[in-house]
Amino acid sequence: RGIRVGYTPDVLTDATAELSVALLLSACRRLPEAAKQGKRGVPELRLHTGGCGGWTTWKPLWMCGYGLSDSTVGIIGLGRIGQAIARRLKPFGVKKFLYTGSGPKPECAAEFGAEFVPLTRLAEESDFVVVSCALTPATQGMCNKDFFSRMKKTSVFVNTSRGAVVNQEDLYDALAQGQIAAAGLDVTTPEPLPTDHPLLSLKNCVILPHIGSATYATRNTMAVLAANNLLAGLRGEPMPHELKL
Amino acid sequence: MWYHKPVVDEELLQSLPNLSVVASSGVGVDHLDLNLISSYGVKVSNTPFVVSTDTADLGIALMLASARRLVEGYEMATSPDTEYFPADWLGDEVSGATLGIVGMGTIGYKIAERAKAFEMKILYHNRSQRKKEEEGAVGAVYCEQVDDLLRQSDFVMLAVNLTPQTRGLIGRRELGLMKPTATLINISRGLVVDQDALVEALQKKIIKAAALDVTYPEPLPRDHPLLRLRNVIVTPHIGSATRQTRRLMMEEMAESIRAGLAGLPVPRRVL
Repeated sequence: RGIRVGYTPDVLTDATAELSVALLLSACRRLPEAAKQGKRGVPELRLHTGGCGGWTTWKPLWMCGYGLSDSTVGIIGLGRIGQAIARRLKPFGVKKFLYTGSGPKPECAAEFGAEFVPLTRLAEESDFVVVSCALTPATQGMCNKDFFSRMKKTSVFVNTSRGAVVNQEDLYDALAQGQIAAAGLDVTTPEPLPTDHPLLSLKNCVILPHIGSATYATRNTMAVLAANNLLAGLRGEPMPHELKL
Repeated sequence: MWYHKPVVDEELLQSLPNLSVVASSGVGVDHLDLNLISSYGVKVSNTPFVVSTDTADLGIALMLASARRLVEGYEMATSPDTEYFPADWLGDEVSGATLGIVGMGTIGYKIAERAKAFEMKILYHNRSQRKKEEEGAVGAVYCEQVDDLLRQSDFVMLAVNLTPQTRGLIGRRELGLMKPTATLINISRGLVVDQDALVEALQKKIIKAAALDVTYPEPLPRDHPLLRLRNVIVTPHIGSATRQTRRLMMEEMAESIRAGLAGLPVPRRVL
């Protein structure tokens, strides 16, 4: 219909990468669970923290998570956001970066010494899997039963790309059966999940309301860029960021 | 001993005449009366460096969780009352912000290394200035006066040990110097902060938020105001809480005990 489309890439790279790392850390260190335990027993908060345990029965392995030190991190989609995520994770003592995608990107990968591997090997060898690829017919439902069955029992899965890249039923099964240790999802299908969705019942699944780019600074920049795209479109001029259709 | 139990007091020491070594988990020894223990000829060991990485990781995790409102976000995403995600629900960016590290020891320095990857501007306050190469590697700027650090920081991270000098280091005056948009993160010891002053500062919006892995006491009484403030995250002292590290701590303590019992030099001896 001859309608032009503007979008806002690039300006949200840092905010989204930052949120991905925040989510990874929250999942592997069990932060929301721990925060709930910290406030457990406070009458007006009416938290449902479950039966026994809690702070009064501190034990050395209570509330223990998994550390990043000497870990292998697998990034699915080493685009701008994937690279920004790797950059932020590097000083946490990550031993090795793996990545997968439509093809190798040696210039981008060099900064992290990242190795291009097939999806299956990434699943098998990673302690942390981060999904930061675009949703395309090729990536739809890519993280499925086969993928999760190859992952380590101690591994953590993080998705900040699009909900549809993950087969949610398979993810639920993997978490519930202990095939993987924990997951962090900023994106789901749909958003929000229906109130009776099984993923919501799992303590080891941290779900966020699609806030990858949700900071004042970044949303302001996105809004200005979107407005400029629109104005340029209305004037029949080249847009700052036009989607080639 | 794990997490300062059993309490090593006069009574315990007198009831255990053959006690030769107390192996304490973690790096902090503020819960031990070192003079008293020493007077009974008992050696004390801790597990210093093994906890550093996980504790630094948690400090960063708390900073990110607070800035990006992760705990609130998780509640929203999982609440049965949520019908849609509001487009104007926003947090603050850590990338490019100023981090002030109070206490640049092993843990403080690891925090600086991590923060650098987020392109944060890093200030630090320490008893002594670090070497130029160390500062340069993380781009950290020394603030001889902690006041300068407090005035400029968007995030203030406490990574000192608890000593008579650091007790109540952050009080009413210090909180007043901080930006009203600033967040206080404490991964050191609860007593480094004047908790009542902190409650007041948060209630009066003198500072924006706090994220605390440590409090005084632990746990806080269930009616404590800090547990009711929306802009406060409290975690139950999980700085070193990963399976790998707790295992290593146990191995180190066992090693120190074996050495002590054999009359050999005790590794990681504090006294």
